[in-house]
Amino acid sequence: MRKFSLVEFSVEHPKLVVVLSVLITLLFMTQFPKMRTDTNPKNMLPATSDVRVWNDEVEKTFGLYEDMIALGIVNEKGILNKDTLAKIRRITDEILKLKGVAARDVSSFTTIDNVTVEGGTLRVAPLMTTVPEDTGGIEYLGKMLYDNPLFLNRIISKDGKTTAIYVPLEKGGNGKEIADKIREIVKKENGDERYYIAGDPVARDTFGAEMFKLMAIFAPIAGMIMLFVRYLMFRDLFLSITLMMDAMISIVWSMGLLIGLGFPIHIMSSMAPVFLMAIATDSIHIFNEFYFRYRETKDKKKAIIETMHAVSRPVRYTALATAAGFAVLLFMNIIPVKVFGGLVAFGTISLRILSFSFIPAMFTFVKEEKIAKIAGTEDTSMGRSSQFLRKLAGFGAHHPKNTVMVGLVLFVIAVVGLSRITVNNNLVEWFKKGSDVRVADSVMNKALGGTSLGYVVAIAKDDDYIKTPEAMTYIEGLQRRLEKLPVVGKTTSVVDYVKRINRVLHDDDPKYDIVPETGEMIGQYLFLFSMSAKPSDLDNVVDYPFRRANIWVQLKTWDAQAMKSVIEAVDDYKKANPTPMEMKPSGIAYFNLVWNHEVLWDMVKGFVLALIVVFGILAFDFRSIKWAIVGYTPLLFTILLVYGVVGFTGKDFDMPISVLSTLSLGMAVDFAIHFVSRLRQRLKEAPGESLSDALLWTAARPGKGIMRNALLFAASFAVMIFAPLTPYITVGAFIVSMMLLSAVMTLIYLPALVTLMQGWLFKGEKI
Amino acid sequence: MKRSLIIVAAIAVSVALCGSLFAVTPDEMMKKSQAAFLYQGKDFKARVMMKLVSKGGQERVREMTMLRKNYGPAGGEQKYFIYFFQPADVKDMTFMVYKYPGRDADRWLFVPAINMVRRIAAKDKYSSFVGSDFTYEDVSGRDLQEDTHSLVKEEKYGGKDCYVVKSTPKAADMEYSYKLSWIDKADFLPLKEEYYDKRGDLYKVFTADEVKDVKGFPTITKRTMKNLQSGHMTEVTYAKADYNVGIEDSLFSERYLKQPPKKWIE
Repeated sequence: MRKFSLVEFSVEHPKLVVVLSVLITLLFMTQFPKMRTDTNPKNMLPATSDVRVWNDEVEKTFGLYEDMIALGIVNEKGILNKDTLAKIRRITDEILKLKGVAARDVSSFTTIDNVTVEGGTLRVAPLMTTVPEDTGGIEYLGKMLYDNPLFLNRIISKDGKTTAIYVPLEKGGNGKEIADKIREIVKKENGDERYYIAGDPVARDTFGAEMFKLMAIFAPIAGMIMLFVRYLMFRDLFLSITLMMDAMISIVWSMGLLIGLGFPIHIMSSMAPVFLMAIATDSIHIFNEFYFRYRETKDKKKAIIETMHAVSRPVRYTALATAAGFAVLLFMNIIPVKVFGGLVAFGTISLRILSFSFIPAMFTFVKEEKIAKIAGTEDTSMGRSSQFLRKLAGFGAHHPKNTVMVGLVLFVIAVVGLSRITVNNNLVEWFKKGSDVRVADSVMNKALGGTSLGYVVAIAKDDDYIKTPEAMTYIEGLQRRLEKLPVVGKTTSVVDYVKRINRVLHDDDPKYDIVPETGEMIGQYLFLFSMSAKPSDLDNVVDYPFRRANIWVQLKTWDAQAMKSVIEAVDDYKKANPTPMEMKPSGIAYFNLVWNHEVLWDMVKGFVLALIVVFGILAFDFRSIKWAIVGYTPLLFTILLVYGVVGFTGKDFDMPISVLSTLSLGMAVDFAIHFVSRLRQRLKEAPGESLSDALLWTAARPGKGIMRNALLFAASFAVMIFAPLTPYITVGAFIVSMMLLSAVMTLIYLPALVTLMQGWLFKGEKI
Repeated sequence: MKRSLIIVAAIAVSVALCGSLFAVTPDEMMKKSQAAFLYQGKDFKARVMMKLVSKGGQERVREMTMLRKNYGPAGGEQKYFIYFFQPADVKDMTFMVYKYPGRDADRWLFVPAINMVRRIAAKDKYSSFVGSDFTYEDVSGRDLQEDTHSLVKEEKYGGKDCYVVKSTPKAADMEYSYKLSWIDKADFLPLKEEYYDKRGDLYKVFTADEVKDVKGFPTITKRTMKNLQSGHMTEVTYAKADYNVGIEDSLFSERYLKQPPKKWIE
């Protein structure tokens, strides 16, 4: 009774296997037209998550918008001139007509409410209804702008060179589309003015659009380079394409499954094809071994089966380790993280099934003479690359102590670097320094109060408490405190309106630019304000029963950590000044902070769990904890080194890096498994050989597979370094260094460690 | 011969007159509607309850006594005197409006906390009335000359035969690009109004929810203005509505703003 062997079956019925593979692929492909994408990082947290429920509540309570675009208009000669003002007016009018724009709450010179006093008459009107014709009118407009703290740093910069139009978006409005339409509007204007479009929705939706474009460009380029490098390695187009198809088929299967199950493609899952392409390179070991075996047996079928026999265990276990590394993500909290983990795990398993069926089947179609010709070039002792690998391993095997010492020093340095890593995410920094999004953001943050918006909601226990002088004074004090933070550009609250009315009612006397003494006054001032201004002005800063006040905090950076410093400052202020009010953060900046924490820490947690699971698999595969420890060391070391460098370069642990962490583990473990399995196999197969010879043989033969795997990988992902979005550059640089380093580490440190610890490792075993 | 000519002419004139009487022009419809809606009687008094409802369902209440007196025919000058009961902290606040056709109204507000009367200038066209979804213009009427009116269709609304008139502002400075009004053919009260924004989307809807007969004048005693874009809504109910109560001219003065006579505000 023989066990059913997938490999043998595939070799016997190659045509059937290929046809079946193609049919299944076509089946999965039928799902593709149903594809939906979701590039909003926000949706990575479920709608029922605390932060989203709370943010929704705050938005509803204060009639706020989730998304806001800021259009900056800069004129180096100053914007207060007839020409520029006329442009502001025209542009605003056009923006109000755009679909998806919440026109009623656009803030611009022509729409923002201005409360002034003239000859004893209180005037509430848009700041600029008509463009002033003469210098007197322009001077008056300037005075109104600079005298009103509600305007300064919001719609006019201190130096008078910059203004901004704030464009809130209706729910579901696409930031990039609206930003593009605004770009068309400003393009019609000519003159000295420069225009900048900033804001979270622009960055986010531009990124989303770019991301898919890049996926469509870089994934195929990476694929083509992989194909080319493979061809250089094996000199056979057919087999190179076969390997490529292996990856493509698994990508189609897993993406088809994802789409078929009704999941939208998130930023994370969009990276899956590239990852699967990476994981697929593992099948290079099969080719590598096949050529060696063929040289030895000269029988194609036999060589195939023998090859599969020799590599099946490591290939199975590398697949298992990689799949498990990603599968642990299934146990995380964040849904897209789970989906991503499941997706890649499924793809990895499909890849392995293909390795044992589709690939051997395809092998049978290659002409024998051709194989013989190529196999002739494969020789462990002669080949130049094999020589080099031997030397590399020899260094570790012959100078194990020095090697380990160097390793320890590097380890300490890496840990120092690692300790410097900050978990942070900054959407704007996903764009390159010179990009439109980034430039716009920095120009506007320099001139005005800040493009990133957070809220601090003061919640009282009783209705109308916000209208008391103590609440008002408290909030005012908090605002001044927050404004001292370097990341805070400007704060706005109901207090600013009350103070404004107080001053205006008293003939614009600056003495009255203070919180009034009685609650009655405050209540009546607010009522007076509501009698003429847009209702949203007040609604944005105070709730209906006057139990909650919303303090707007404009931040000058999109760093998730900025909001953290605001929250800490609020806590400090509260500790020093007790109040019956509770202070709760909210807004997009707060969301980013929570997102950062939840998603990234979820990934960190997943990574740690994956480390443990992978160790378990190693131990199981090697049937030995000792070997698992030895095999695990170079892997862990590589990861430490790479993250150590990340820490030293000051690069944040952001989403792309977090996604890569699991991949790096899955890839690096492959090398260890191949090396250790094959070494132990060799020790059994060639009993007379010394340990160091066996090590050198392993480095030269399966080691060549490892090196090929790493080079192939590095070559194809190096193209990503030229991508216009930083996460792709990160991914590219990270994978390239990870693969090369991990291969070198495996080939140097495994021999060193095995040599050094042979007494312990082989205790009770016969060498 | 001469006599028959006169008869023919007389018939012709009366036919023409009858014709115009039956085929009311859209301009006349709007004029009649404004008269029925905002100019009934010599004067008017009501206790007004205004409920402001946010998208999230939060409510704010304004309670006031509104007094109105006509100075001239429909569409002409009017004076308003408003005394606030609620919210509690604005009790004793009073508000006075002199409304003129063709230009912004004059308004005065008495702020009791600092015992001060201030004139307030605001644009009738877009300024909100006490934070509600009604603009001043919605409360006291818009100058009909500023729009061109056309009859779109005639249809039943709420079981009543209505004219549907489209009013398009002549100037571009309005928030809306046009307005549709459903005008009851019987009493000319506007039963519904739809406001369309510059993009052509419906964004504000006025509805007359209850019409009662007060001293022989059909009066809208309950109305709602809903902003579809912001989700905000204002409901207004008139209690104790009364016409021709004999409001004196002297009431509309700064003196009475500070000390409103009890008999008028209760």
